[in-house]
Amino acid sequence: MNWKDFQAKQKVAEVGERFVSYVDEGEGDPVILIHGIPTWGYQWHKLIPVLAKQNRVLAPDLIGFGYSDKRDNFDRSIGRQAEMIDAWMEKIGIEKANIVAHDIGGGTALRLATLFPHRVKRLCLMNCVSYDSWAIEAMIQLGHPGAYKFASASTTIATLRQMLKQGFSETPDDEILDGIFAPYTTEVGKLSLIRNATALNTNLTTEITHLLHKIEAETLILWGVDDKFQLLKFGKRLADDIPNARLIEIENARHFVMIDQPEAVAAHVSAFLEEGK
Amino acid sequence: MVFGFGKPSPVKETEADGEIERVYHGIKQSMRVSGINLNFRTWAGFENFFPLMWDAMRPLVETRAFENAGDKIRRESVSLAEKLGKMDVRNKIELGESQQYQIQKALRLYHYINPKLLVFTAKVKQALEGETTQADQPELNTELIERGIPVRMYPMEMVADEPDDERLAAIFEDIKETLSLSSINSDYRTLGLWADYLEAAWKQLKPIVQSDEYKTASGSLRETARDLASRLPAVQLSRQQVEDAGEDADKILETTEAFERLLPSLIINVSLLSLDWKEAQELFESPFPAETRKYIQGGSR
Repeated sequence: MNWKDFQAKQKVAEVGERFVSYVDEGEGDPVILIHGIPTWGYQWHKLIPVLAKQNRVLAPDLIGFGYSDKRDNFDRSIGRQAEMIDAWMEKIGIEKANIVAHDIGGGTALRLATLFPHRVKRLCLMNCVSYDSWAIEAMIQLGHPGAYKFASASTTIATLRQMLKQGFSETPDDEILDGIFAPYTTEVGKLSLIRNATALNTNLTTEITHLLHKIEAETLILWGVDDKFQLLKFGKRLADDIPNARLIEIENARHFVMIDQPEAVAAHVSAFLEEGK
Repeated sequence: MVFGFGKPSPVKETEADGEIERVYHGIKQSMRVSGINLNFRTWAGFENFFPLMWDAMRPLVETRAFENAGDKIRRESVSLAEKLGKMDVRNKIELGESQQYQIQKALRLYHYINPKLLVFTAKVKQALEGETTQADQPELNTELIERGIPVRMYPMEMVADEPDDERLAAIFEDIKETLSLSSINSDYRTLGLWADYLEAAWKQLKPIVQSDEYKTASGSLRETARDLASRLPAVQLSRQQVEDAGEDADKILETTEAFERLLPSLIINVSLLSLDWKEAQELFESPFPAETRKYIQGGSR
């Protein structure tokens, strides 16, 4: 799907002083898809129509990301993102949901599952940040406050685009890469992405490591085995530490497992959600 | 005359350094705005003039009297726009809920800042022309207002002034040609984030901005701004100071006059577009009312 068509589907909710843009499709049990960095809800565009056949699927842009609030006056850490998801669910009237999350969205989901457990029905993690697995070098460099003046938005995005190709087993179509970076091509977008990268904080996963054994939600961990950003060993560690977790290794997939192997991912997630009904 | 011919290139926020960077920060805090409009980016091209001008104007823009002057311009603009006719843009195109929300937020940003910019520009022009403050002014409200960007103000996000998107580039060219601009203003670059919307909006705006009624309205708004500016306290800025700083005062005055000519139509355009979304009564009010400052900050002036 073209990113412009995806953007046009987005609804909006004000959550305190921030606003959150999100796609909301289908009917049934709510499933919330949480993206990573440097992307937005668009990264789920292949999975949403499949899941929406049986479920109500919601894909928010985290604050500071995509077409949610990008002002330069708030914290974008996964700690704040988890609080925002909690408040957003309250705002749109969703008490509890299945959570499907990737990359820092996974870190956000781990904080939801440990600190806001009443919000999480079932949990599916994909190549997510955890423990001290993050932030990767490219994101640390991007998060330097001086990065704003170091390069223009177009140069910054061109560099990131090249870097991000390592996250796919095969370089995706330009349409997908254009879509991933579309919200960040302006100077405001670039600055927001820099602030998002500045907020990547290992402590926000290490401080919940001792709580992982308390997660009661059934958990599915899908991992693109060739991921160079988030290594498989962390997926295995999560599967050990979360009581009701199982790990499925996805072959021929790297970090963006949902784009590398969309059919396999859709099949596993659909089956996992069906089990919970 | 093509506006801006022969003047230095505008200084982008990312390129600002030293004194210009200091002033850009001060503008956002004191003018209470999330970005630096083309006026300021253009004035910043005169690197000796720019801090001189800002340091002279800053004490004024932080007063209730200045804020009130902006409020009066805003109200008059909405009244004038109402008489020019009703636009119907949003029903002509398909926009998502979030897109509609954000377009309105963007319009609120410019509905707030542009009237203040016009008063600011008129005051700078009067100072450079050596005009004195009117003697018969009523008692001015010199109370200080709060500083800082209003927390809910939309960021001044803009597409590139020369966008890769061919359709957007064509709209910008048409706007520049119609309004005799050399640079595309921040407002249009922000609305360029929603190209379908800008295209439909400009299609309806273009015949309006070419009408005699519109020219009369923008002239009336300019006169109001001049009158309001002349009733504000005098600022410590003169042609002599500018020349002593090694700047070309004629060129700066020419640039300032050009902005003073342009801003009334930008303000009316934003009012016209806003009336498509909101009732006039709501638009009469400041989108970001300023509270009275409780504490006087330290630091240098």
